[in-house]
Amino acid sequence: MDQLLTQFIGALRNADVRISTAETLDALSTVELVGYGDRRLLKDSLALVLPKTLDEKAAFDTCFDQFFSFGDRGARPPPTTALDAEPSGDAAGQAGDGQAGTGGDAQDQRTGNARPSATREQNTSVSTDERDAPAAAPGSGEMSAPQSALGQLLVRGNQMEITIAINTAGRQVNVHEIEVFTQKGVYTRRIMDAMGQAELQQEITRLADSGLIPDRRRAVDLTHRRDWLRERVRDYVEHQFLLHADVTGRRLREDMLRDVRLSALEQRHHRMLHDLVLRMARRLVSEHSRRRKVFRRGQLHVPRTLRRNMKYDDAVFDLQWKSVKVDRPKVFAVCDVSGSVAAYARFMLMFLYSLEEVLPKVRSFAFSSDLGEVSQLFARNTIDDGIAIALKQYGGGSTDYGQALADFRRLCLEEIDNRATLIILGDARNNYGDARTDVLKELYDRSKRVIWLNPEPRTMWNTGDSEMRHYSPYCHQVDECSTLAHLERIVGRLLRAVV
Amino acid sequence: MVNHAEIAASVGSLQQHLETHRYICSTQIATAVYLAYHLRKPVLIEGPPGVGKTELAKTTAEMFALPLIRLQCYEGLDEAKALYEWKYGKQLLYTQVLKQTLDEVLQGAKGFAESVKRLHEFGDIFFSEEFLEARPLLKALQEEHGCVLLIDEVDKSDHEFESLLLELLSDFQVSIPEIGTVRARREPPLVFLTSNNTREISDALKRRCLHLYIPFPDIEPEQRIINARVPAIPPQLRTQLVRFIHGLRDLDLKKVPSISETIDWARTLLLLHADRLDAELVSNTMNVILKFQEDIENVQPEVRELTNKATKESG
Repeated sequence: MDQLLTQFIGALRNADVRISTAETLDALSTVELVGYGDRRLLKDSLALVLPKTLDEKAAFDTCFDQFFSFGDRGARPPPTTALDAEPSGDAAGQAGDGQAGTGGDAQDQRTGNARPSATREQNTSVSTDERDAPAAAPGSGEMSAPQSALGQLLVRGNQMEITIAINTAGRQVNVHEIEVFTQKGVYTRRIMDAMGQAELQQEITRLADSGLIPDRRRAVDLTHRRDWLRERVRDYVEHQFLLHADVTGRRLREDMLRDVRLSALEQRHHRMLHDLVLRMARRLVSEHSRRRKVFRRGQLHVPRTLRRNMKYDDAVFDLQWKSVKVDRPKVFAVCDVSGSVAAYARFMLMFLYSLEEVLPKVRSFAFSSDLGEVSQLFARNTIDDGIAIALKQYGGGSTDYGQALADFRRLCLEEIDNRATLIILGDARNNYGDARTDVLKELYDRSKRVIWLNPEPRTMWNTGDSEMRHYSPYCHQVDECSTLAHLERIVGRLLRAVV
Repeated sequence: MVNHAEIAASVGSLQQHLETHRYICSTQIATAVYLAYHLRKPVLIEGPPGVGKTELAKTTAEMFALPLIRLQCYEGLDEAKALYEWKYGKQLLYTQVLKQTLDEVLQGAKGFAESVKRLHEFGDIFFSEEFLEARPLLKALQEEHGCVLLIDEVDKSDHEFESLLLELLSDFQVSIPEIGTVRARREPPLVFLTSNNTREISDALKRRCLHLYIPFPDIEPEQRIINARVPAIPPQLRTQLVRFIHGLRDLDLKKVPSISETIDWARTLLLLHADRLDAELVSNTMNVILKFQEDIENVQPEVRELTNKATKESG
């Protein structure tokens, strides 16, 4: 099993690209075919196999660039000549197959002016701030040998060692717990600290202040190397972020959002809710798009009649008719958009219009005191804009259900027939005005279904100026509807009933 | 005979061959054909209308010198039109013939049980390939040397039809209840599906396909496309009109002009013997590139500016 690819797919899944096992297998055979050699080809190929929507392709692009960027960055020559041999090992080592060979050259070159390598080997692979014995004299005269553990590790430039050191430090600071991208900086610093950055820093300062030229040279050299290391640690953290920053955090939040009262939500959650609503709607669509076809007698279907009657020796007595699909149901949504109910109206409209595929004939009306049709707003604008305009146009008045029902009757009584489902969303608080239940009764008699959704908790119904008790006899269904979970359940039931 | 393996040896070679068949494409598109050929997976092509989705399938068929079998999807398309149908007329005749021979078959049979036994022994070809009328999908499987199967605008079909495709796409086989499973002959077909995204294609279908999105091309490739399709057009005019179209695509239009409209426009201008764009010419030929009166009215006031921009940049 190709570990690199599996990791990449893990990262993609974290970035919300849905990848099934079958697609993973496809990706494997694709990689087998094209190989890792040509980055461009690999990207093009995987872009065909893994992401399956435009959004996912965008996510894939960023993810691919981030994930496979290590090769690029490592390829940049490290600061000093002695490290030249290192970058190729860098990419590979970081990516997980640990190719240490190239780093060895650099080490060999360096042994001349550093301490014997045997001792170093022991303490650097753990790479903490444990301090070495003072280094041997700066014999070669070029640069003085570094004394801090980290400095020595860097100067030796053994790819494998450095990678191991970074990984160890990463484990120490629990980098796998990284959750949001803002933590990247923090974790980078923590890893650097755990690797002994402070000590290295001290050494650099000390060397830079020193009068000896080899010391000063070493200071410059170490600064370069430190910067290079920081870059690598940042890559490492980035990588870990892609792998571990699980969507669990977000999922938790989404679960919470489903059950929280819609009016209590803050503005900043709206974007996420929007996505959530769309996703819920999509699920409903796929559940209900398998529309049961209702057949009605129509024209004679000659081939099928012949086929069915063959067994009766051509005596045609089992007639087959061409089927006629019955028109799709009509949904009328009447929403109270005054103050407190507006937030609910927003999400219900969003829900209904996201269901366009299974509910193509949604007409919506908004009212607080006067009622008007807002369907065309959604035809011309995006759902969000449409809702905003509707709220602005009709919101803000004092609610008058009687007037609204009368307006609705005037506008489209003719079109309410036995295929029409009427959904009324409102708290039924009529400011002690005339409830006009007669209008609702008339609508009730003509339509297939009247559903009243009340965002208030059931216990609050019929208190104060609420007219629920007068309206509910003329509804086929009365429901509380205050959270997204409610909304989903109700719309789901609606689909089952009307489709 | 065209050597398939040679053409599909690399992405670059595919791109070149497509180009010689006057289909200019990005490496992404060529890679899709490459993978489709080597992995034998269907390709689902999405993108705005008129960017050459159908054309890609046609050109691929031409390039590999394979027959192209095309299935245009629409609402209400069912298996009788897409997969197979029985030849009723012939089946009726067959029963007539059968009736006459039946006497001979049953002659001398003792009792009902033996008659039935004899009937069973008598080879029944009522439901057999003889009487099977192959429709595009079945035909594609029966092609001896492989073929290119184009399932056009799959988003227009019903969900039921999509499910019908699943078996074909994953295993290159279809099940006919009366006969059994029909598998692809030696070479499974290269399958292309196109979609204009009028509705979401189901995950099950997407999972079985490579997914290729073709966007509008950049200025330079589009010029090459025009050059390939309308070679007679003067280079200066070509540059200008492609720039103009790109300017249009940035506007908020009901339907933005696609490559096919660019090509149509280039042909129109060629016919009018134009050698450079000017505002009047553009206004007069606007109906070639814009298909909604609303769009034409919206663009009209900006024609001069857009034309100036297109002609100035090309120097």
